[in-house]
Amino acid sequence: MNNFKIFLSSAVFSFRAQFDWLNPVMWLTMKFVLSVSQMAFFVFVGIFANAPIQFIAVGNALQSVSWNTVFSVINITGHDKWDGTLPLVLATPANRLPLFIGRAMIHVLDGLISAAISFFFAAVLFGVNFGQTNPLALIVAVVLTAFTMAGFGLLIGGFCFFFRNPMVFANIFTFTLLIFCGVNFPVSSLPLAIQPVSYIFPLTYGLSAARSAIGDVTIAQPGVDLIQIAPTLAQQLAVGLAAMLIGYLLFRSFENNARKTGKMEAV
Amino acid sequence: MPEPLRVIYSAFRMAMLHWIADPQWIIPNIIAPFVFTTVALTLFKDSTGPFGLYAVLGGGMMGMWGNTIYSSGFAIEFEKWQGTLEEVIAAPSKLIHVITGRAISNAFFGLTNMIAILIIAVLGFRVSLGIADPLMFAVSLLLTLLSVSALGLIFASAFVLSRSAQALTNGLETPLYIVSGSMFPIALLPFWIHPAAYILGPTWGIDAIRLATSADYVSQSFWSGMSPAMAIFLDLTILILITLTYVLTATILFKIVEKRARITGTMVQA
Repeated sequence: MNNFKIFLSSAVFSFRAQFDWLNPVMWLTMKFVLSVSQMAFFVFVGIFANAPIQFIAVGNALQSVSWNTVFSVINITGHDKWDGTLPLVLATPANRLPLFIGRAMIHVLDGLISAAISFFFAAVLFGVNFGQTNPLALIVAVVLTAFTMAGFGLLIGGFCFFFRNPMVFANIFTFTLLIFCGVNFPVSSLPLAIQPVSYIFPLTYGLSAARSAIGDVTIAQPGVDLIQIAPTLAQQLAVGLAAMLIGYLLFRSFENNARKTGKMEAV
Repeated sequence: MPEPLRVIYSAFRMAMLHWIADPQWIIPNIIAPFVFTTVALTLFKDSTGPFGLYAVLGGGMMGMWGNTIYSSGFAIEFEKWQGTLEEVIAAPSKLIHVITGRAISNAFFGLTNMIAILIIAVLGFRVSLGIADPLMFAVSLLLTLLSVSALGLIFASAFVLSRSAQALTNGLETPLYIVSGSMFPIALLPFWIHPAAYILGPTWGIDAIRLATSADYVSQSFWSGMSPAMAIFLDLTILILITLTYVLTATILFKIVEKRARITGTMVQA
């Protein structure tokens, strides 16, 4: 029970902390503006390049979870450093595992709201047809993507404890997903030598599963069911949990190092 | 040196020193345009047409845009974090002169972003990009840079009063890339968005830059049917008029913002 309370309070406080610099109206505005603008940009580039619009719109809809689960989660580390709360986090006797993992969990829910808004825009503004979709398979793929991408956010967030400006890494890793994960073009369009890199990101698996679940109404190809995408989702879960674990180990390593050297914010 | 110029120069120098002290801040400024350019070049890979002209020059333009928007927001945010905004406001120098110096330095770094993206595109993606009229290319680039800086001044005035400058920065970046037609013709956008495109200086700037790069582009520019030289002249005339309007608007806004900040005393908590 105690660990659950730690998990819960860590989740709530890490989410509430962002309202120190962001007001709720702006948070809501950004949720809509970010979702639609990134998707619109790439859809228009796609129209100009004669690329498949549904592929791009769905890719960007699911990638929108990364703004919450990767960008925001990495920035928790940054705000701990800037706001002077890191020494308090390290001084608490609380169990570190629920404390560390809890930080990302409300962002997972927030990411799901972003994804829902984005899929709505994909359908209404860019004509993505969900007529052949297997809803259960799509929902599971989206939820698992948000959860595993939070694992990836925790990995980079753990790594960022060793650096002064986590926001730099938050930008790099949120945007590079657009290149590696098959968001706007298939992974097979990347040079052969760098394609393996795509599979260290849980989003790559999530996009593959989500697209299979949506199907393609233009060629009357129905979306596949949960059983058929289960192997892809299992791989995604394994990658996400591994990322979370490595992030946790990095956090503990940073903590041990900080106790020895007395260096925290000014690494 | 006249007082305004001295203040502008000092603010410019200070911004340069900040950047030299912590150069990794250039990364967030350049990462989005770089990634967007890479994605666009990959999407255009199998297409024929003047896509390099759009992807590469558009990416470079986005580099300038991104830097200006990002830096305008964060210039104020950093002052708030470091507790120096009160001193900047309390100083007898005009706030707009301080921010002008910063905006020029931001646009200067934006130019380096543009050059970095051009180099990456030419070397990494082997995009051939000859410049038909180097002089007009340089003039168009310089005037666009000034226009972006002037627009940065307007953003900065709003950011003084907002606690959410960081969020505004993230939220404004991509819509501006879309509306200014950085990477695709504005004709692809819904008709009701076109007026917003026409009041943005960089919309005309990128048109002039594309014209200076390739005379063949004139058929796709705003001035189809005219000679390239006349088309560039018209683009730059409109760009200059819009930039002057930005400067005038920013001057008025800064007077209002500065007065309000002094009366309410809430600028740091805003």
